Amino acid sequence: MRRSTLYRMIVVLMLCAVPLLIAAAKVGDDAPEFTATASNGKTVRLADYRGKYVVLEWHNNGCPYVGKHYNSGNMQRLQKHWTSQGVVWLTILSSAPGKQGYVTASEENDYLTKEQAVPTAALLDPTGEIGHLYDAKTSPQMVVINPQGVVIYSGAIDDKPTTDLQDVQGATNYVSLALEQAMAGKPVQTPATRPYGCSVKYRD
Amino acid sequence: MRRRYARLSFSRVAVFAAALLLYTAGARAEGTPIPHGTLELVAENQWIEAGRATHLGLRFQLEKGWHIYWVNPGDSGEPPRVKWQLPAGVSVGEMEWPTPRRLGTSSIVDFGYEDDVMLIVPMHAETALATQGLAQIGAAVKVLVCREMCIPGTAQLSLTLPVKSQPPVPDARTADWFAAARKALPRPAPASWRVSVADAGDSFVLTAKIGQHIAQANFFPREESQVKDAAAQQFAKVPGGFRLTLRKSDQLLKPVARLKGVLVLAGDRGYAIDVPVTASKADAGEYGSSDGDRPAFVAAVFRPPSVVAAPQMAH
Repeated sequence: MRRSTLYRMIVVLMLCAVPLLIAAAKVGDDAPEFTATASNGKTVRLADYRGKYVVLEWHNNGCPYVGKHYNSGNMQRLQKHWTSQGVVWLTILSSAPGKQGYVTASEENDYLTKEQAVPTAALLDPTGEIGHLYDAKTSPQMVVINPQGVVIYSGAIDDKPTTDLQDVQGATNYVSLALEQAMAGKPVQTPATRPYGCSVKYRD
Repeated sequence: MRRRYARLSFSRVAVFAAALLLYTAGARAEGTPIPHGTLELVAENQWIEAGRATHLGLRFQLEKGWHIYWVNPGDSGEPPRVKWQLPAGVSVGEMEWPTPRRLGTSSIVDFGYEDDVMLIVPMHAETALATQGLAQIGAAVKVLVCREMCIPGTAQLSLTLPVKSQPPVPDARTADWFAAARKALPRPAPASWRVSVADAGDSFVLTAKIGQHIAQANFFPREESQVKDAAAQQFAKVPGGFRLTLRKSDQLLKPVARLKGVLVLAGDRGYAIDVPVTASKADAGEYGSSDGDRPAFVAAVFRPPSVVAAPQMAH
């Protein structure tokens, strides 16, 4: 009896240690909670959106892969379409101060206006805390969270890992596919892909 | 300085230079600017012999600190892509990639090249290719050049080579570049090596019996989304070799049949390996195997049995 209790404790300790070491969320895991300040000054908590689909979009305005999706209007179209379907769209800015893509709140607001971007909110993450929670590697990496708070997609925005604007047309958009399939009650067929793009400009 | 000299000499002897380019030193082409570097299409030989294979090179020269990417770029970035424009009867084979370097930070790791690197491309000319003519070879290259940030570039390269029936003569100008590029290519793993890869749940355990002890080794996965690029590769000595524990990529949701890539030994060059992935003993519910050489043992000693026996991919 004592032995099995001890053994259980060891197992529990080891299981606790594993997430501490790896930390980042994967597809199938509960989406890690976070609280962040949006560029509009509001405080955004992921938990507030339980019951809704949430899209996370890693952003860096100087990255040519991000530029491909904004200059073609693709990202704005996706934001408009999915937010009109009740999806919460959070653009996340994880560039550290002094690095490419770092912006102040007002710079981000100007950018959103200029680009006619319509995310639910743009979250300032200069410490990279949210980025590391989700192990975001690139911009534009995309994550989809279901109403139960589970990560159902993490990876590339589509299947054309290039900077060419013309590649937007005809690409399979993994974010839309995941949302469509999940909303239809089907399993997400492509739940994880290599998130192409520029590396996230973390502080390290 | 080099640039100015080049421009001066060209302006002085433009006509001669053009003639020389085409007929004497056939494998010559101008370096084309790309972001933070230049790119040149070169040939190993002075002319193409109909019916024989030869090699072309894409020679990148990058400013200090800037890099381009390997065929598997790692966590971010993108390898150079080439669209060839070839005359009828001429074809190119698969690009040969030198052993890459690990680049990046602690959380994001890329694979690529800094400074000077040449990618070798095999080229074949059909026997029926008309000799006494000139073959115009074009290459439209898309390349991402990165340092802290990334800049996509394009270059339209061209090279004119005479086609002859006699065996080709190496181009003295490019000989050193090809020699260096070949030296940088991974060589086939020696036949005496025994390399195996076991699936240990959230890791691949690569065991290499190479008949000697080395201090360190590193594996570069050829395919994307198999190995977690930024994870430390755990090195351990085993009798007659070493073992590397490679964390699986989060994007890997299905079992893989083979692990392909380049194994770099400390102080040595890279070796190409292509090894079938076998199910680990741990998968069958066994653990604590007494056979210390079996990769399953690694999984068993570092994780409680309940974790080892659990399904590897729930989704």
